[in-house]
Amino acid sequence: MTERTARGNATTWGATAWVVGVLVLLVVFPLTARDRLPDRLATHWGVSGEPDDSMPLWAATLVPALIWLLIAAAAVLALWRARRSTGTALAAAPAWAGITLGFTGVTLLGAQASIVRANLDRTDWRDAGSVTGWVIATLLGATVVAVAAQWAGRRARLTVPPPSGPAMEIPKGQRFVWLSRTSNRWLHLLAAVTGILTLAATAGAVAGLGGGLEGTVGAASFALATVALLACASVQARVTEKGLEVAFGPLGWPARRWPADTIASAWSEHRTAMQAGGWGYRLSGLGTTVMLRGGECLVIRTAKGKDFAISVDDAERGAALLNSLIGQRAK
Amino acid sequence: MLLRLDVADTRPLHEQVAGAIRRAIAEGECAPGDRLPPARDLSQALGVNVNTVLRGLRALRDEGVLEFRRGRGVTVAQGADGRSALLDRVRKVLADAARLGYGKDDVIDMIREVT
Repeated sequence: MTERTARGNATTWGATAWVVGVLVLLVVFPLTARDRLPDRLATHWGVSGEPDDSMPLWAATLVPALIWLLIAAAAVLALWRARRSTGTALAAAPAWAGITLGFTGVTLLGAQASIVRANLDRTDWRDAGSVTGWVIATLLGATVVAVAAQWAGRRARLTVPPPSGPAMEIPKGQRFVWLSRTSNRWLHLLAAVTGILTLAATAGAVAGLGGGLEGTVGAASFALATVALLACASVQARVTEKGLEVAFGPLGWPARRWPADTIASAWSEHRTAMQAGGWGYRLSGLGTTVMLRGGECLVIRTAKGKDFAISVDDAERGAALLNSLIGQRAK
Repeated sequence: MLLRLDVADTRPLHEQVAGAIRRAIAEGECAPGDRLPPARDLSQALGVNVNTVLRGLRALRDEGVLEFRRGRGVTVAQGADGRSALLDRVRKVLADAARLGYGKDDVIDMIREVT
C-alpha cells in the first residue's frame, strides 16, 4: 500500500511539474523574443498558408496560457471526481488525464513556438512566414507523447482486479444468443443537419461560391462529421459463443469484436453522460463508453485491463451470458 | 433479447430460427408492438444466412406472430405472445400424434369431436 501511495505521489508531482513547466514556457517564449517581434503577431493561418488573423503581443502570450490553465483545471477536476466516485476503473483515470495533459501541452507549446518563429524579425504580421511544417511536426510530437502516456497508463492499470459479474446457467445442448440495440434521436437529428450542410457546401463549392479550396474543405469536413455522427447515433451489441460484438451505425460498420477468451469479466453498471464525458463514443476515466442514453450499461474488462461500456437495455443478462461463456471457455 | 437454440435440433435452419423467435415471444422477451432486431443482426448473431432468417420471419408473419411494416421494420403482432405459446402447444400435439400414427387431418377431426 505504501508503495502505491509513493507512486501516486510521484505521479502527482510529475503532473504538477509538467503543468507549471508548460505554463512558464508558454509565457516566456514570446516575452524573451519581444524585441524581435512586431506589435501584433500573426496567430491564425488560412488553408493556403497565408496569415489571416492577428493578436497583440500580450494577448498572444496570455491566451495559450489561459487555455492551458483551463485544461489543467478540468483534468484535476475529473481526477478528483473519479477518485470520489466508487468507480471500478479508478486506476484508469490518471492514464486518461496523462494522455490529455501530454497531448494538449505539447500541442500548445508547439503552436506557441511556431507562432513566435513565424513572426520573428518581421515588422508587420501580414509578412509572417508559413507554419504548415511546424504544425505537422507538433501534431506528430503530441501524438507520440499521447501514445507513450497511454502505454504507461496501461501498465499501471494491470494491477486492478476485475469485479465479478453475474452469471447465467446454460443448459447442456443449448446455444444462447443475446442481442440489444440503442439509438439516440438527437444524434440522428444532428447528423441530418450536418448532412444538409454537406449538400449545401457541396453545391456552393460546385457553383464556385466562396473560394474553391476552402469550399471543398468545408464540404469534406461536414461530410466527415455526418458519417461520424451517424456511426455514433446507433449501436448494436451481440453476445454469441464467439464473444461480444459491437456494431456502430445504420450499416453495422465499423464494428468491434472481443473474443470470449480476451474478456476477463462483464457486468452491468448505471452510467450517465456526465460520468462518461458526453454523448457518443467517449474516452474518459472510466475507459471507453459508447453513451447513447443515460442508465444501464454493459461493461466489459478485457484481459489486458481495459474497460469498454455500451449503453444498451437488458445489459444485466448480456453480462451474465458473457460471464457464463467465459466460464465455459475456462473449463 | 435472448434467443435459445438446441444444438442437436435436426429441423431445417429456417424452422429453428422461427422456433427460437416464437419461444422468445412466448417467454416475454419481446412484448407485442416491440421491434425485432433487423434480419442482418439476427443472421450475424445466429451464424445463419440472412435469407434463411428472412424465411423464418416470413413463416412467423404468415402465422400472425409478426407484422412487417414499411419503415418500421418487423414488429411483434398484438396478442402474439398468447398465440405463439398456443401454436407451440399445437405443434407438440401434432408431433405426439405423428408418433402415435395419426396424421394432421386425424387430429383436426379429433378437435372437431371435442366439445
